Amino acid sequence: MAIRSLELRARVVVEGFWNGLHRSPYHGFSVEFTEYRQYSPGDDTRYLDWRLYARSDRYYLKKFEDETNLRCHLLVDQSRSMSYGSLGYTKLDYARTLAATLAWFLNGQGDAVGLFTFAERVRDYLPARHRHGHLRQLMLALEKESEGRETNLGEPLRRVAELARKRGLIVLISDLLAPVDELERNLARLTAAGHEVVIFQILDPNELAFDFNRAMLFQDVESQQDIYLDPETVRADYQRKLQAHGLGVETICRKLGFAFHRVVTNEPMDIALFNFLQSRNRRGKRINRRTQQFP
Amino acid sequence: MNFLSPWFLLGAAAIAGPILFHLIRRIVRERMTFSSLMFLKPTPPKLTRRRRLEHLWLLLLRCLCLLLLAAGFARPFFSSNSAMPVSPDDGRQLVLLVDTSASMRRDGVWEKARNIAEKYLAQTTPADQVAVLTFDRQPQTLVNFGEWVSWGLDQRATLAKQKLAAVSPSWMGTQLGLALTTAAEKFREDTANGRPVSRRELVLISDLQEGVKLDGLQGHDWPTGTKVILERVDAKPQSNAGLEIQSASPSAVGDDQPVRVRVSNARDSGREKFRLNWQSENGTTVAAAPMEIYLPPGQTRSFSAPKLPAGTTAAEIRLTGDEVDFDNHSYFAAPEAEHLTIAWFGLAGDNDPSKMRYYFQRVFPETPARTVKVITPTVQQTFSPELLNQSAFAVIPGRLTPEEITATHDWLARGKTALFVVTDEQAAPVLSALTSLPEIKITEATGEYALLGDIDFTHPLFAPFADPRFSDFTHIHFWKHRRMEIPASAQARVLAKFDDGSPALAQIPVGSGNLLVLASGWNPADSQLALSSKFPPLMQTMLDWSGGAVPARFQFQTGDAIPSPIASGGAAVQWQKPDGKKESLAAGAAFSKTDLPGIYTATFGDKRRQFAVNLPLDESRTAPMSPDELARLGVPLQTPSLVPLAKIQEVQLHLQRAELENRQKLWRWLIVGVLVVMFGEIILSGWLARREKTVEVTT
Repeated sequence: MAIRSLELRARVVVEGFWNGLHRSPYHGFSVEFTEYRQYSPGDDTRYLDWRLYARSDRYYLKKFEDETNLRCHLLVDQSRSMSYGSLGYTKLDYARTLAATLAWFLNGQGDAVGLFTFAERVRDYLPARHRHGHLRQLMLALEKESEGRETNLGEPLRRVAELARKRGLIVLISDLLAPVDELERNLARLTAAGHEVVIFQILDPNELAFDFNRAMLFQDVESQQDIYLDPETVRADYQRKLQAHGLGVETICRKLGFAFHRVVTNEPMDIALFNFLQSRNRRGKRINRRTQQFP
Repeated sequence: MNFLSPWFLLGAAAIAGPILFHLIRRIVRERMTFSSLMFLKPTPPKLTRRRRLEHLWLLLLRCLCLLLLAAGFARPFFSSNSAMPVSPDDGRQLVLLVDTSASMRRDGVWEKARNIAEKYLAQTTPADQVAVLTFDRQPQTLVNFGEWVSWGLDQRATLAKQKLAAVSPSWMGTQLGLALTTAAEKFREDTANGRPVSRRELVLISDLQEGVKLDGLQGHDWPTGTKVILERVDAKPQSNAGLEIQSASPSAVGDDQPVRVRVSNARDSGREKFRLNWQSENGTTVAAAPMEIYLPPGQTRSFSAPKLPAGTTAAEIRLTGDEVDFDNHSYFAAPEAEHLTIAWFGLAGDNDPSKMRYYFQRVFPETPARTVKVITPTVQQTFSPELLNQSAFAVIPGRLTPEEITATHDWLARGKTALFVVTDEQAAPVLSALTSLPEIKITEATGEYALLGDIDFTHPLFAPFADPRFSDFTHIHFWKHRRMEIPASAQARVLAKFDDGSPALAQIPVGSGNLLVLASGWNPADSQLALSSKFPPLMQTMLDWSGGAVPARFQFQTGDAIPSPIASGGAAVQWQKPDGKKESLAAGAAFSKTDLPGIYTATFGDKRRQFAVNLPLDESRTAPMSPDELARLGVPLQTPSLVPLAKIQEVQLHLQRAELENRQKLWRWLIVGVLVVMFGEIILSGWLARREKTVEVTT
């Protein structure tokens, strides 16, 4: 977080990741390569490959690139609760960097990347594209100051489902500090659209440990509500509730088939990236296996 | 230790604030924002006795700061008797200035004024010094401070009231400006009597009508601490108009020119129609029909009075139609034409332009007011001293017989004036004989011509020519003139000199009279003087200055001095006032006891002359004047005090305490103390905050 430019930060993470990986980023989990399909009556003749017909005297349809490439939408929570941070930077800073890193990475391998920023409603929307300058726009949108207030996933996710009609990858980066049942209801909208969903829950180390040493007034950053707390008294109860909430979220994700990653803001960014790729890899293998079982 | 504003000490209760805030601040000392409180439940704060007592010194400093601030605002001072400038028990100097002008003659006004004055006299304390003055045209002292102090304590008010009871309103105008300044000077005169005085009050008891004169108030230097308390005596609202006869010419009576009357209607008058009519001395109506006049309120206008019967020498004109009577009469004395004779010694030569008399005779044309006759005091070649005695002035062109010299010398010694024209060197013995100065030498001057060089414009003869527009005498050429050598013992005054330095016109006293000696003639052979425009006014001035002329005025206001109808040296004048009182005055002495309006008669020898004395028209302007006018002219006005004495003393004591506090200014030290304590508080709180932070880091 010492690097001010978000773009540069993302680039450093990705390149460092590559260097450490010592393997080509273009292998394994990219788009399915372009192929031809034999024409059958009823297909759109506009997509016939006349050159191949000239060579082979067969009608073949050319499959479009965009059908085969990955469309990824990054959903970044900019609610006030994300503005908390005890390490000199906030959870939102971390989330932005993570989103930028993923965008840089996916863009680098030719995938279309889009962006939703939201708080109680969608603030910025960039459709998933892969074109020159798009990544820059995305970075600018991410760097924009947040004016959000409370976390409310319902409305933004409904809008995401509306706007991202084509199936693709949805990466939700949020602290998910909302009641579990509400989360389940809202996240279910994404599965209905057939999207693949990866969720990053961003938490501050202090949120996990609640490591305050004396009694004081605590103010809810979203509701501005003040309560007096003695941390020593409430710490155990707090951690228990937080853990239960985390488990609840994980259970929902498992049920809905989402990949869930809890990221603490004091962890290096490349670990989160590695987790992401690993989950993508696992899913790729799972699909391959499923394809082999049912040819 | 006393406090000027002790109620500010209540501000010390504000120390409850810091104590409370200190406690509250202990409870919620820090605030921490947190991402979500959804997993947290509030826990009750734990307070311990030790925590409450933390930072006690800081609290004490803050409380001390507030206490010092409250004490500073309460303005403390140390009471010290020596520092008290004036004790509240010291007396005051009180001047009662009571208006006795003619306008106070209105119904009930004088009684009210006297009641107010008596009320003030009754309220005096033994320490007070009181002076009582009345004023109309002139202020008069009834009681002065010294007199008041010399009286017994229990008699002071009574004696002053008795003196006041003997006074009644006069018939004079109101010179309020002069009265106020004179009364204020009373304070200054009696300042040195050594008695302590806490305040100076000048109580003006007057109807303050519009017609008062305020001359002399502008820029007056009022004695320090003087307060003028205005006690206006309100008259019953009545319509009032007054009148005044304007100066009339001698031809007014029995001629076509009517007498002019100026009528003034008061601003608050409710009437507009009035009548004018003449009355004789016994009250009967003189004119056939009264004259109706119309005059709106607040206006003054001149009217032609009804015609008087021929031969009327004195009459009274009366105005009717208003409600106030004191100013409805005005008296008229018919002016008399003045008949003067001037004795001319020497040959007649009336119609010879080469002679001086030709020109002199034409200098005095006949006017309605004055007839001047130039006579030769010689009847059938014989000098007639009677003719000389009847003359107001004489001209002696160089030659006199011994008999004439003797008679003229005696005539001059009785206070008369003559003009001696030096026609040649042979005039010297005559001049010496007339002035009883044998050393006078006269020689014929040589040279082309002479001009007047040095003129004494301060002398009454040349004063009218003093203005630079008229002071040029250089165009008068004197072809011939004589050099005079007048000895110093003559006590002569040279009024003009020729450019060769010899006297041209000199005034030589002879007994109580004067002889004017002119060193050249005005006949064309001698000079161009008679042809100059300066000649007639110079001769007229000589005649007027000689004292032979009678006064031209016959109308006067109450309080004016009437000049004597005959010059000094004549017979005694018997004066008769309108109320019948008689008084004999020497000739030349003015009659000044004109305290009543009416016809004044002066009898001298077998002659009788009448003068009219009237009330000033300004007294008829009885609408009340605004006190703001006085304030505008710098009069230190104070509204009449209805506050009891105890209250006044209380206020005064407060003022003295304020003065004492202002001298000591202890509040400044308290504010300095506040700053020092605040500085200490800042240092201490900063140190405590740093210490706490260090403790946190280590834990």
